Amino acid sequence: MTAPAGPVPLARPTARARLRPAPRPRELALLGIVAVALLAGSASLGATERALAGQPAVLAPVHPFQLGIYLAALLAAHLAQVVAGRRTDQVLLPAVGLLGGIGLLLMERLPQDLVGASIAGRSLGLSDVHLVWLLVAIGAATAVAVAARSDAWLRRYKYTWAAFGIALLLATFVLGREVDGALLTISVGPLSGQPSELLKVILVIFLAGYLSEFRPILATESTRLGPIRVPPVPYLLPMLAMWAVAFLIVVFQRDLGAAFLFFAVFLALLYIATGRAAYVVLGVALGILGALLAYRLFGHVRARVDIWLDPFADPLGAGYQVVQSLYAFARGGVFGTGLGAGLPLVDGRLPVPAIHTDFPLAALGEELGLAGVLAILGCYLVIVERGLRIAASAADDFRALLAAGLALVVGVQAFIIAGGNLRIIPLTGITLPFISYGGSSLLANGIVVGLLLALSDRGVGPPPAPRTPGGLRFRLGSRRGSAAPVGPATPARPATPAASAR
Amino acid sequence: MDGYALAVWIVRLAFLALLYVFLAAVTRILLRDLRGAAVGRASSLGRLVVVASDVAEPTAGQAFALGAVAPIGRDVNNAIVVDDSFASAEHAVLTFRGRTWYVEDLASTNGTFVNGLRVAGLAAIGFGDEVQVGRVRFRLERPPA
Repeated sequence: MTAPAGPVPLARPTARARLRPAPRPRELALLGIVAVALLAGSASLGATERALAGQPAVLAPVHPFQLGIYLAALLAAHLAQVVAGRRTDQVLLPAVGLLGGIGLLLMERLPQDLVGASIAGRSLGLSDVHLVWLLVAIGAATAVAVAARSDAWLRRYKYTWAAFGIALLLATFVLGREVDGALLTISVGPLSGQPSELLKVILVIFLAGYLSEFRPILATESTRLGPIRVPPVPYLLPMLAMWAVAFLIVVFQRDLGAAFLFFAVFLALLYIATGRAAYVVLGVALGILGALLAYRLFGHVRARVDIWLDPFADPLGAGYQVVQSLYAFARGGVFGTGLGAGLPLVDGRLPVPAIHTDFPLAALGEELGLAGVLAILGCYLVIVERGLRIAASAADDFRALLAAGLALVVGVQAFIIAGGNLRIIPLTGITLPFISYGGSSLLANGIVVGLLLALSDRGVGPPPAPRTPGGLRFRLGSRRGSAAPVGPATPARPATPAASAR
Repeated sequence: MDGYALAVWIVRLAFLALLYVFLAAVTRILLRDLRGAAVGRASSLGRLVVVASDVAEPTAGQAFALGAVAPIGRDVNNAIVVDDSFASAEHAVLTFRGRTWYVEDLASTNGTFVNGLRVAGLAAIGFGDEVQVGRVRFRLERPPA
């Protein structure tokens, strides 16, 4: 039944001692395909733009310099991991790189005055700023992937992370600026950002730590509440707290997308950790209850739902963006109009003002058609699949939950905004990961990719030992010939690891 | 249709086609990866790795693939033999019951410890937790995927 699997070397020398480059041929090959694809896309866009502007017909990339910088950054990220000798996942970076590149092409194609910034006297357009943030995101992903050699800084301080997240949320309530009816943006000096993007990463870190600590209890114990079995009451509270946080975000921040994202990821992780359908049923019931309450009580929620149910009731007013998005998809057909040839201007302006943040999929749906949209959704599927595979091969519960949660955050977010653009679910203002314009979004998703890469590293050391109640750990093996373990004299109780650690 | 327009049209569709070339290449890698995982997957439910040991058997670094029931003790009939005078003959048993692993102390003299706390009877444990029997410390790990 049980067989010793033979000695397994545990204490591998950490790679910090010396660099041993490890080739990553698959990643390089996939990046090659990405580069060729983006060159073709850019050339197609360039030809169309020149034809529209009445310039001489040349079939060449529209902004060769920008594309070159972007591809060089991807190559640099690849080389950094090769040099560091990381044996991390080789599919994630190309998949994310392709999505980012498509986003860059889209931003090059949109009117450049959607976003204005000037640095050192040089005015930067939409695609310039987008490229800068893409580089920052790639840099963050590479830095995390190469530098993170231990996950102790994530798992040990989960309550610190949670406190930081709540502080970030409160800061949004207090310092937040209202943009398009949602309280999302904080501005501190010249910097402004959307904390909810960073918050989703922190949420996953906290949930992974919390659920891995209490998984045995959550998975096995239950209290009977009439005919249904519910989790033990003390462990039910986080679920209610989570529900309350999501509800508060809806009420105060008016950010339906983030609330939906947080709650969905929470339920998914709870199910992954415990394997109990009852939790999901209970959570979905709570979610539906909250949604009904919000619909009854709050005008902004009701407005969104009413637009979703019938955007043509007020096609020039409330339903305008959704109607234009549907028209864009319809104009695109199967193969699209080609990059640069779609998105007719109305009075010299784009019909959808937030096309670069909330409706990039509608723009891509028009210019790349059904085929392009399906390929983009396929890339998100690939990212989710990689995350779940990394989770399945993780050494312990924390890493498994963290990898699954990070992948699901990206996948669910893409689903929410894609579904909103396609009128499958009510539209909520959230970014399309890796494609939408937006610094916070790109940076947060870059960190997500970096963490996934770090978690997939097969050369990394074993997880750190679980934390034990203060002073009770036996230093076995460190003092040879020590006596038998001196157990705590306190009455023995089922070990709930670290339940009393604080 | 002149040659230039044709070229533009071809490049436009080539971009879409290349997206699918990329997805096909990725899918090939993913399928190979999944097939490899399916072949390599042992029929075990977990691994018990010796973190530290003051005795001759087992030695630190040794790993045991676990079935659904894995008795631990000094007696040679145990699945995991701990050759330690501080371990009882039938010391503890690890069982996997549907959702999670449990460790049960079989009324051993010196006790079984999970993360430093003595177990009374049955206790649920998770992957990553440490179990101590006698002078040997084990860590429960997920089965290699």
